[in-house]
Amino acid sequence: MNNLRRKLLVLSLLVMFLAGCSGQSHRAVKSVKLPDPSQADQNGRLVLSLAGEVSILNPILSTDTTSSAVEGTIFTGLITFNENLEPVPDLATSWSVSKDGKVWTFKLRRDVKWHDGVPFTADDVVFTFNSILDPKVNSVRRGDYIIDGRPIVFKAVDKYTVKAVLPKPFAPFLTRSGMSIIPKHILKGKDINTAAFNRKPIGTGPFKFKEWVTGDYLTVVRNPGYYLGKPRLAEIIYKIIPDENATLVALEAGEIDSAGIPPKDYKRMKSMAGVNVFEYDNLVYTYLGFNLGNPKFKDKRVRQALAYATDKKQLVSLLFKGLASPAYAPSAPISWAYTNEVAKYHYDPAKAKALLKEAGAQDLEFTILTNQGNKEREKAAVILQQQFKKVGVKVNVRVMEWSALLKIVNAPTGPKDFDAVLMGWSLGLDPDAYSIWHSSQYPKGFNFIDYHNPEVDRLLEKGRLTMDKEKRKQVYAKLWQIIASDQPYLFLWYPKSVVGVSERVGGLSKPSPAGLMLHLEKVFVTK
Amino acid sequence: MRKFILKRLIQLVPLLIGVSLISFFVMHLAPGDPTSLFTDPNIDPVELARIRANWGLDKPVILQYFYWLGNVLRGDFGNSYMTGQPVLHEILQRLPNTLLLMISSYFLTLLITIPLGVISAVRKGTWFDNLVTVLSFIGMATPSFWLGLMLMLLFAVELDWLPAVGMYDVLSGSHGPIATVFDVFRHMILPLTTMTILSLAGITRYQRAAMLEVLDQDYIRTARAKGLPERIVIYKHALRNALIPIVTILGLSLPGLFGGAFIIETIFAWPGMGRLGVLAIFQRNYPLIMGIVVFSAVLIMLGNLLADIGYALVDPRIRYAKK
Repeated sequence: MNNLRRKLLVLSLLVMFLAGCSGQSHRAVKSVKLPDPSQADQNGRLVLSLAGEVSILNPILSTDTTSSAVEGTIFTGLITFNENLEPVPDLATSWSVSKDGKVWTFKLRRDVKWHDGVPFTADDVVFTFNSILDPKVNSVRRGDYIIDGRPIVFKAVDKYTVKAVLPKPFAPFLTRSGMSIIPKHILKGKDINTAAFNRKPIGTGPFKFKEWVTGDYLTVVRNPGYYLGKPRLAEIIYKIIPDENATLVALEAGEIDSAGIPPKDYKRMKSMAGVNVFEYDNLVYTYLGFNLGNPKFKDKRVRQALAYATDKKQLVSLLFKGLASPAYAPSAPISWAYTNEVAKYHYDPAKAKALLKEAGAQDLEFTILTNQGNKEREKAAVILQQQFKKVGVKVNVRVMEWSALLKIVNAPTGPKDFDAVLMGWSLGLDPDAYSIWHSSQYPKGFNFIDYHNPEVDRLLEKGRLTMDKEKRKQVYAKLWQIIASDQPYLFLWYPKSVVGVSERVGGLSKPSPAGLMLHLEKVFVTK
Repeated sequence: MRKFILKRLIQLVPLLIGVSLISFFVMHLAPGDPTSLFTDPNIDPVELARIRANWGLDKPVILQYFYWLGNVLRGDFGNSYMTGQPVLHEILQRLPNTLLLMISSYFLTLLITIPLGVISAVRKGTWFDNLVTVLSFIGMATPSFWLGLMLMLLFAVELDWLPAVGMYDVLSGSHGPIATVFDVFRHMILPLTTMTILSLAGITRYQRAAMLEVLDQDYIRTARAKGLPERIVIYKHALRNALIPIVTILGLSLPGLFGGAFIIETIFAWPGMGRLGVLAIFQRNYPLIMGIVVFSAVLIMLGNLLADIGYALVDPRIRYAKK
């Protein structure tokens, strides 16, 4: 008995100690406080975190966002995008397109030098695009420069003029011309896939590569000769911290200056001293895609009924505590080609039931597949299961490892063996959505739900051929309206990005999908 | 003895070929391939097929295996698909970090658990023994990520004594070897503490059980009957014999030492093998997976060999016959 009492005492002491560790003092929510630019530290060093490992520092080869984040400081492209996601000059001072829409001409800056001092010329641009087009180079971007099976031809007209000759007019090309440029004088004749350059890159950007300790950190230093002005930061250090919670602890401990904030920590971080919290929308949406090759979803009324049965507001508030918004169309509200004028099927369970009855699908039962590791999607599947149950539809949820899921949806022949998938698309800056919706992209391609609508096919083709932005906008508005009405996907939500930045960091740009450090040379830290 | 070692070393060759063959096929049985992660509406699937062909993944698996084996025999483990770097280079970059953390934790654990286990066994049923038992169970039940984060919040945020993540202080820069050693040491404290606390329980229980068994033996009774002081009975006669099982554990823990602790390395952003291995599997980075498999197989086999030799040294009853 005595023994037991002692044991309990030890246990309770231990519990108290551990509880004390996680105790939070109450702090009030505060507003954004930016530092005074006159206090900028000339030798300032910014420490940022990366959630994944950096794999390779060559923009034509890398496929992960972590590597791209670092490449963004070292390399630049012909054009770039501003806060409003509009194309603006970068290495090119101006561009024009011929009347027939086939020949694009880029005039280049004459004052640009590579980090090793060699002048940048049109040859570097041609070399970059030709390397991407080289079948032996393992670049996933090759398809961007091939139209109807024919490659785009890049030519240096003179030292500072580049021409791109397209086999036919192709509006999304402008966005794709923003690819970062790599140096010909270093990579010519080398095996680009395995070149030493890929771990020790040389670019034209505001920062030069300095050091990379695999798996731990990576440092870039100021390029004083950067063509848009000497950067105010002396160094940027990228620390690799794979765990989300540890990243927040590192931000709290002042070891890093910025971290992405998951919805569960939003309130806590918002009230934390020394940290500014920014929110912005992204070009990303999550959806439930119905397999239209499956008899269960052939009838449009069934898909519309499920849309009526979905309480998107509840879904978003349960999952994100307001840090996301309901989605109704296959485009994002911040895209210039977005339209709000689409069928929305607002929550109406009675209408859902009536439509199901009309379609003779009262006993509908289906399985939602989603990928493991994405907590929001896993929870969303369960919430949808509950919501659909209210209109008499039985849903089974199956969570699968990513590759196993892809094996099913990417099966090379139809009909594919699934009912519905809960996944997301990250959209490009150009509204072109040919690869997702065009009937030619089934069964091989990303139209894995077997959607085919001749009018949609026609509009997708027209959108690629139309050069005038206003006219293109109308094409895509029409397109989104038709798709939203058809409901091949049940569009679910647009997540917001939430980023915490230390109060010592200034010179930030307007929060946008392009991030907070769009003008990296202007970012500074105080002492 | 020399003959025994030589024989065991020769046995490694067919064993390694078997291990690599099985691993190679099992790896290819897993759904997906290295391009599965590139699923993006802006990437043409035709390009993915081209890249797979560049990597030779369009060939039959058995052919791929022989290509791989042929290259390995020439000392070429191939290049990682994701980084383009030689596999051997990738592994050797991470291995020292993992060994540093794992071996330190291992010795620290032994240093604490052996005395704890012995004292618990000798004072079986006392408050000390019960306390150790309760703490062992708590240690076994505590999730490592939770303990790690709690220690981080306490020592890195609230008290601000120690760094939270990484292996080096990225802001201090390099100030010579002594400062670097001190820097790494400071960064090691939290992950090391977490790992050690969590592994204390197991070996303490082992040591306690081994000691209890030995204390029941006739020769201990004889030693006591001879009138030897209790200290000599415990530390000379009993402990030496109770250490034999620990040698087994030493051999068995070698794969763990090499493989790293994935969760600890992830939480504390420690650049070790655990993270590399899990990432390689997740990315279906075949050459890297195979490199790690072969490397760890060799280390495990050598570890077992060392343990067998160790037996002969500590246990006079074991002799490896000459025939």
